[in-house]
Amino acid sequence: MIRLRSVKKSYRQGATSVLACAVDQLDIAKAEQVALVGRSGTGKTTLLHMLAGILRPDSGEVEVVGQRLDQMGESARDRHRGRHIGMVYQTFNLLQPFTALENVLLGALFGRGAGGDAKHRAAELLSKVGLGDRLHHRPSEMSVGQVQRVAICRALINDPELILMDEPLGNQDRSTGGQVLDLLLQMASDGGKTVVMVTHDPESATRMQRTVDLATLRGVEVVA
Amino acid sequence: MKLWSISLRNLRIRMVATVLTMLSIVVATALYAGILVMAEQTEQRYKGSIGGYQAVVGPKDASQLELVLNTIFNVGEAPALFPLQICTDLRSGKLATRRSQVRYAIPQARGDSVSRFNFPVVATIDEMFSKYEWNKAPLQFAQGGPFQYSYDDLLKLADGLALYENAKRAGELEPPPRPLLQKEWKKAVIGSRVARTLQLGIGDVIVPVHGKQGEFGYHEHPEAACEVTGILAPTNSPLDTTIFLPIGVHLLIGGHEGGAFLVQIPPGKTPDDAKTLPVSASHIGLTAVLVDPKDYFGARILRQEFSSRDAQVAWPQDVVPKFLQQIGNAADALTVIAWLVLLVASISITVAIYNTMNERRREIAIMRSLGARRLQILTIITGEAALLSFFGALLGVVVCHLAALLLQSTIEDQTGVYLDWLQFGLWELWLVLGVTAVGALAGLMPAVKGSMTQVADNLAQNY
Repeated sequence: MIRLRSVKKSYRQGATSVLACAVDQLDIAKAEQVALVGRSGTGKTTLLHMLAGILRPDSGEVEVVGQRLDQMGESARDRHRGRHIGMVYQTFNLLQPFTALENVLLGALFGRGAGGDAKHRAAELLSKVGLGDRLHHRPSEMSVGQVQRVAICRALINDPELILMDEPLGNQDRSTGGQVLDLLLQMASDGGKTVVMVTHDPESATRMQRTVDLATLRGVEVVA
Repeated sequence: MKLWSISLRNLRIRMVATVLTMLSIVVATALYAGILVMAEQTEQRYKGSIGGYQAVVGPKDASQLELVLNTIFNVGEAPALFPLQICTDLRSGKLATRRSQVRYAIPQARGDSVSRFNFPVVATIDEMFSKYEWNKAPLQFAQGGPFQYSYDDLLKLADGLALYENAKRAGELEPPPRPLLQKEWKKAVIGSRVARTLQLGIGDVIVPVHGKQGEFGYHEHPEAACEVTGILAPTNSPLDTTIFLPIGVHLLIGGHEGGAFLVQIPPGKTPDDAKTLPVSASHIGLTAVLVDPKDYFGARILRQEFSSRDAQVAWPQDVVPKFLQQIGNAADALTVIAWLVLLVASISITVAIYNTMNERRREIAIMRSLGARRLQILTIITGEAALLSFFGALLGVVVCHLAALLLQSTIEDQTGVYLDWLQFGLWELWLVLGVTAVGALAGLMPAVKGSMTQVADNLAQNY
């Protein structure tokens, strides 16, 4: 499902180049649920963005869902991300002017398309996570837990093979966040989806099948 | 959900900016559409009122445009008078009738009007309703019918008036009686708009007035009050605002009889002296004669024969296109102004949307992270500009037509053009689409900026 080889990504800060992320080798199998952990600055989010195709590595191979993202153009990576990858962010990144239903449909619009039964699927997903009566509420009218569930539905609307999460519980209490995470992992497991989660939270990491410390990926082949 | 619905939502979020920016588009489009509506309907109105080789014979010291505008389109004052003899010659065969070239020659005399709307009174004969053609057919009546007043009645009245006037000028102690205004002459035919505006029906009475209400010399002619015998069917032409009376009524209106005759002032004499000179029935003054030569040759003969007369012949089909060209030139100049307003409006769209780009970077980054391509972002932002322009242009066209409705009477009074506010043209659809395209183009610059938004950098931001 995911295969990384000799990947490096640097940023320019003025005249100097700063290495943000380096991974010699990383393999994640289909339907695996993996937590990416590591100290701040080890490049967890950068790695997540490379897996999503938002960033392209300076060097190395990034293969995700059978496609070499490092060899694809930006537009193709965007299309690939829309169709095969669902993303959940720490800040949820919902669009405030849109309702819960519309936010989920946005995922469909830029993924496999918002035509046909997309609206029905979106409503069904929201009902499944207990938001059947919140379809037409805006994010500002919902609790943090509800907003997170909308974000999860948006990530799942295209029935992606891979779900990437960036600190999904960062902003909420463990009890609520844990329940939502369990819900997502259950739904992912039912659908045979691969999940990669970046987290600082050791408790969240234990919910995953495997934990990978980014610091150990530099020059070390990591196998669970 | 579609991309345009995101564009629409973005416009709604910034409602105040959207409305203000749209206003400039509305103004530009309304201005542009207004100019075109006015130009188009002026052309239709003027071209629709002329046909064949129809000509207007009038006094020599007026311009041809003046003559045509006054006689056919009711614009301005009657420029001057010329003698009845010309009309008689045209009808009897002394002029332009060597091959029976003239189908009709209908005399007209103007000067009075009716009501505060100044509907012009045209004094004429009954052939106006039996021989004169508008749009290749005699005038149609919506109600009632024509009055009866023939050319022979006119000649008889002219003789009687001349006899009386000459005896009076000669100081005869027992001059013959002045011809009296006959009751059966006091009839009128009115245009459809006159009937509608003044709410007149068959049997109602109209009173001609001289001059304009509130102006010096304004007075009513109650002695010439006429009963409405016919209401013309609507033509969307100046006929709709015209009131036709028998020319005999016009000549016998109090105060008209003295000035009804044209007298040649001999060298060394003053106009006061002319008041004592003998008059002739053939010198009753007319403001115009409507003539219809049968064909091109008849028209040529008419032109040649009038080159040496006291009157001139004007050809609406020559004069009107030149006049319209002048109007067209003025319209072109106004169109340039309208385009400039549209350009400014387009720039305001660019500025309005461009200024929102910074605050929208995160929103764009989120959409990109969901799989939106740069082109889709470009489409959404350009779509905002296009939708803004589309609705602005649509509203502009509506405003233009509403303005046409509100200003209908004023414009007709000033120009003789009746604006049909419900008349829509295909060009208006093109105008809306054109403005939309210009607006979309204006949105391109901010759209390019938006589509270049860095996804990773902007996703991290909190708000």
